Amino acid sequence: MGQLLQYGINGLMAGAIYALIAVGIVSVFKATRVVNFAHGYLIMFGAYFYFTFAVLVPQAAWAPEWLQSWRPDWMIEMREGLPMFSPLAAVLDWLANGPRILLGLAGALICNALLGLLIERTLMRPLMGQSVFAMIMLTVGLISILSGSAQLIWTSDAEFVPALAPNTPIRFELFGQMIFLFGADLANMVIALVIFAAIVAMVRYTKSGVAIRATAEDQSTAYSMGISVPKVFSRAWVLASTTGAIAGAILATRNGISPALGLFGFSVLAIVLMGGLDSYLGVFLAAMIVGVLEALAQWQLGGEWAEIVPYVAVLLVILIRPHGLFGTREIERI
Amino acid sequence: MRLNRRHFLATSAAATATLGAPTLLRAQPAEYVIGASLPLTGPFATAGQMVAPALRMFEALVNEDGGIGGVPIRVTAEDSGYIPANALANYQRSLATEPNLVMYFGDSTGFMKLVAPELRGPNARLMGSTSFASELADPVNNPYQYLPGPSYEDQFDILLQQVKDEGGSSVAFIFSNTEFGRDPIAHGRARAEELGLQVVLEEATREQGADIPTHVTRLAQSGAEYCILQGYVTGVWPQLIGGARQFGLPTRFMGTFWGMENAIADRVTAEAGPILDGYSGVMPYKYFYDPERGPVYERFAAFQKTAFAGTPLENYMPTWGIQALFSLTIGIEALRRVADKGLELTADNAAEALSELQDWDTGGFFGVPVSMVDNKIGTGRVYQYSAETRLFTPTSDWFTV
Repeated sequence: MGQLLQYGINGLMAGAIYALIAVGIVSVFKATRVVNFAHGYLIMFGAYFYFTFAVLVPQAAWAPEWLQSWRPDWMIEMREGLPMFSPLAAVLDWLANGPRILLGLAGALICNALLGLLIERTLMRPLMGQSVFAMIMLTVGLISILSGSAQLIWTSDAEFVPALAPNTPIRFELFGQMIFLFGADLANMVIALVIFAAIVAMVRYTKSGVAIRATAEDQSTAYSMGISVPKVFSRAWVLASTTGAIAGAILATRNGISPALGLFGFSVLAIVLMGGLDSYLGVFLAAMIVGVLEALAQWQLGGEWAEIVPYVAVLLVILIRPHGLFGTREIERI
Repeated sequence: MRLNRRHFLATSAAATATLGAPTLLRAQPAEYVIGASLPLTGPFATAGQMVAPALRMFEALVNEDGGIGGVPIRVTAEDSGYIPANALANYQRSLATEPNLVMYFGDSTGFMKLVAPELRGPNARLMGSTSFASELADPVNNPYQYLPGPSYEDQFDILLQQVKDEGGSSVAFIFSNTEFGRDPIAHGRARAEELGLQVVLEEATREQGADIPTHVTRLAQSGAEYCILQGYVTGVWPQLIGGARQFGLPTRFMGTFWGMENAIADRVTAEAGPILDGYSGVMPYKYFYDPERGPVYERFAAFQKTAFAGTPLENYMPTWGIQALFSLTIGIEALRRVADKGLELTADNAAEALSELQDWDTGGFFGVPVSMVDNKIGTGRVYQYSAETRLFTPTSDWFTV
């Protein structure tokens, strides 16, 4: 039982990150009916922006020293004599990186929002009124542009970034089994869940959210009711880009950065299809199911199966419910 | 018959063609071409983009030395994206467009296996690569392909022997779920059994974006004293080690060639702290910063200082670059030996010359003379990383398996 819980929790932590990635795809789809195949690459840009502001800028000759490593006297005193991997040492080391982590997050959020806005204004908006298929194909083309641009700007070098939270080990006993968790992963999960909940609340309870939902129902009617559909499009892209920036920063802290990070988006597309392209609740559940299935398959069957089993489940769900777990069923009259 | 002007010209032309044909046929070309596929994009683009300039340097230095039998060489490199089919297409294009192609450098095990059946008759060329895949060291079935060092299986043998010598009793294998990752696992299992070591965990992970907490949990529960990592280049392995350190696991980590790049270890240390301190693994060659580097590295260093000024290669050559340079050096050495004998630079002649590389002084790639046995050079030594000096330093003498 303890083992099951251990792997279950590990799976939920991975699932929360999948959910944070998926929320961007759903937001764009809800507002524009466009499946954004390039979302993984938006996330990759978010990761690179985080790297730029958390690693490259603090290393610049003109940057103040405290930005690179903030170590006031009291911290140096506390740090002295602590073993390298003690929990307190991990917290203090993380605090020393605090200024650049904050700068990295702020930079990633702003730059990725601007990137999302740029894509929407220059590429997607001119296609408004055209076939949705054309817009979807455009996002496929965007993959090459974003992937190539990242290599030109940041090269293909693998890079590493500071963690968003102290990576202190957390140990507790449950059902006679010692459970191990990583502090940073737990914090990542909390960040992902809070953002996910905030977006769902925004879509449900705010005016902008109502506008997104109305546009999703019928663009022409929304227009005639005074809703600025182009603005809704912009907001959806900015929302996807900013959540993508956080997801990118989290992925970068877990796995390092390289242009291959963009590929991560494709595995999440399957999760979105499983949950239902226009359902936040559906993709949340799907992300958690896939995360847990991956961890359990790894535990019981090994890594060879961990990459297959969850996606077999995705396939089964789509076969039984082609519109996903909670997606809107579309009936076409012929 | 009366010899008029027309007859005279026709007869002269025929005589010249008849007498001159063998000379023309045996004439040396203006240049020899060495083709290469590199992963300039894709998951291993980091390595590919660092190796590309090294090939330019190789071309310049070989030509300074008179090329092959006095004929200059030209190195052409194309992107494969680390997709074997792309690399195969690159090779076929080189065969079709470069009549003087004498050697090829492949960028993956997958490509080397894919191209192997094609290397027959006029399509055969001498071929080195980035791969240390055990299956490629097979002169009977793949006479034209060679490894520029010990195979992954050999490297596992060396590490397992090291575990045994240090008094270890249990070991875990964590590997990427790729051909590269799985290559030495079955052999390693058998070898561990021979040595009386218990393999307590065989864990396959994703090549990128692995679920680190789950893998570290599995490692913690296995209770392995040692863990050998295989099938990674820039990602996953540092995070696994970092996770294990945060967990407080006493496991000692080891790696094979592609997990031993100093620049990557330095970047990890800069961001994650000294998690890699004590990490060790097999490296066939001397590191570029070796205080006793030989004349070859000195020459590279002088070239790099001017040609690559302002780039990361100005003062350093990564192990990936060294591997590519040595792989090509083997090929050039074989081809030069063929040319010295006055033979044609065919793949068969070059393959025969490969086996003549015995007790060969490589000029400093290795600390000892090396031999090509079964199309591989089974020499290397164990290095350990220190977070304090930020260098891999040798912890064993040179050995040959």
